[in-house]
Amino acid sequence: MSSLRIINIEKQYQQTQRKSDPAFSLQPVGLTINEGEFFSLLGPSGCGKTTLLKLVAGLLQADNGEIWVGDANITAVPPEDRRFAMVFQQSLLFPHMTVEDNVAFGLKMQKVGKKQRLADAREMLEHVGLKGFGLRFPDELSGGQQQRVALARALVANPQVLLMDEPFSALDPSLREEMRELLSRIQKQFRVTVLFVTHDREEAFQLSDRIGVMSEGTLLQVGKARDLYERPESRKVASFLGLKNSVEGIVAAGRFISADRSFDFPVEETIERGPCHLILRPEVVQLKILKEDPLEDSIQLSGVIQQLRFNYGFYTGTIQVGIYLLDCSFTSQQAEGLVVGQEIDVLVNKKDLWFVA
Amino acid sequence: MTKTRPFLKSILFTLLFILIGLPFIPLILSSVSFGWQWPNILPESFSFRAWEYVLLGSSGTWQAVSVSLLIAFIVTAVNILLAVPAANALVRYPLRGKWLLEAMLFAPIVIPPFVAVMGIHLTFLRLGLTETVFGVVLAHLSPTLPYMVRAVMISYNTLSIDWEDQARMLGAGSLSRFRHVVLPHLLPGIAAGASLSILISLSQYLITFIIGSGQVVTLPILLFPFISGGDPAIASAYSLLFAGIAILTLIGMDAALKKYYQNKKAGAENG
Repeated sequence: MSSLRIINIEKQYQQTQRKSDPAFSLQPVGLTINEGEFFSLLGPSGCGKTTLLKLVAGLLQADNGEIWVGDANITAVPPEDRRFAMVFQQSLLFPHMTVEDNVAFGLKMQKVGKKQRLADAREMLEHVGLKGFGLRFPDELSGGQQQRVALARALVANPQVLLMDEPFSALDPSLREEMRELLSRIQKQFRVTVLFVTHDREEAFQLSDRIGVMSEGTLLQVGKARDLYERPESRKVASFLGLKNSVEGIVAAGRFISADRSFDFPVEETIERGPCHLILRPEVVQLKILKEDPLEDSIQLSGVIQQLRFNYGFYTGTIQVGIYLLDCSFTSQQAEGLVVGQEIDVLVNKKDLWFVA
Repeated sequence: MTKTRPFLKSILFTLLFILIGLPFIPLILSSVSFGWQWPNILPESFSFRAWEYVLLGSSGTWQAVSVSLLIAFIVTAVNILLAVPAANALVRYPLRGKWLLEAMLFAPIVIPPFVAVMGIHLTFLRLGLTETVFGVVLAHLSPTLPYMVRAVMISYNTLSIDWEDQARMLGAGSLSRFRHVVLPHLLPGIAAGASLSILISLSQYLITFIIGSGQVVTLPILLFPFISGGDPAIASAYSLLFAGIAILTLIGMDAALKKYYQNKKAGAENG
């Protein structure tokens, strides 16, 4: 098994000349990525995910820490000898070479014979759906096609790890969708280990086996997409995953009480006492049907509808409860009976409540 | 609008012709004249005496042409070897006092060559480098190198480090990266710098004269005495020859570069 292990990798950047921007540092990161796994680093721009990727690639020198592939320590191995491949945001195809020569470049560097490497290049071009494009020059291709060539070029030499730095962010949305599907299919087909960097959570959720959420140079949480979404460990992770419904309050004497006292309900004993935030996912907030009694395992909230927006087949409503604005999802059917300004009751199942510090 | 365009074009073309083409006409006439004096508009009699002297006589013209070209090409080759790493360092590495280094590199363009050459001459006398082609080559570097460095720097400025990183990730060592990624990108800049370097080296008079002390005979050395009061017919013939060689060299370089790119393209299409 050749898993990729990142052991306490650390990088400190010197203070830049402008005093206003603080020196950036990547806090020690420890991470193991299994063979054949698709792992994404998700975080806002400037959070250090590209730095981490370049450290893994060897393009940056780490201050501390080690990188292992299987049972080989490759920390001191220069990037050209690591047998990693990388796809950047720009396709970076060499403009003076044909598509075929571009794809074959990695094999050429490995001293593979011309016939063999061109044959391999053509085969790989077929895999990315560019059969017959081999003799063109990069500037004769569209942006999406160029990125496909870049992907083919990265994969042709059978890399141990494929590193990708926001490879689709320069493409338009429909093309991006197509490229994700292509990447997903090819990754499964070749069983290649992928370390993928993105700021697009939809992209990360769609592609990844596991995701690491980063912020300000720190790896906050690692997990499967669903675990991250349903059980974020901190408010930062929650807000980055789009969970905006956060209610500040305190757990004491078996009850959660919000700062403005509009939330007040009993909670289970297992929940740690002290100040905390209640995270409510939009889809767990259910509209209460009239005359129905609140169920034992649910809590009831009352609020005023502030806004209703149509959103890809369902409605997003903003409800004001106390001083808090909660986003919740309604089906079109439910939304038909609602108007802005109306007072409504909503229910939340207790098992869907999630508290973070 | 569309009608004024060709009109404007023809005016510009005429102007260009007057500025560049017209001076050549009296030059040509003068080179084949025999005693052309004021107030005659055209020479009274024609003769190929001057051309015979320049091309066939024992004037040493061809010897001078080959020495000129030899010096120009060696100077350019050395310039390329010096300028590529220099430009790389100046563009890529954050150096303290980089402006000072750049100012020193570009000083020969601003400061009259005569100033520098006097000092160089003294040093070369001590080193025994005067009166040698090698010494002249060294002396020619100072006015030509800045242009080469400038041109290559501009090429480096447009070459993002990402390209090399990408090549690295594909397994290319430093030599392969330079050969397959950096050099193809620099080539247009190098070609531009080389053209300038050849032209400037070819047209050096003062530096060649002082350092070569009359022993290293290039075309401008032969040409100068005839211009400064000798025989205007021969001076004209030499000037034309000089212009011809300069133009031929440039055209030759341009053709070589074009051929290089065509071969690339053709090779790719056939292979």
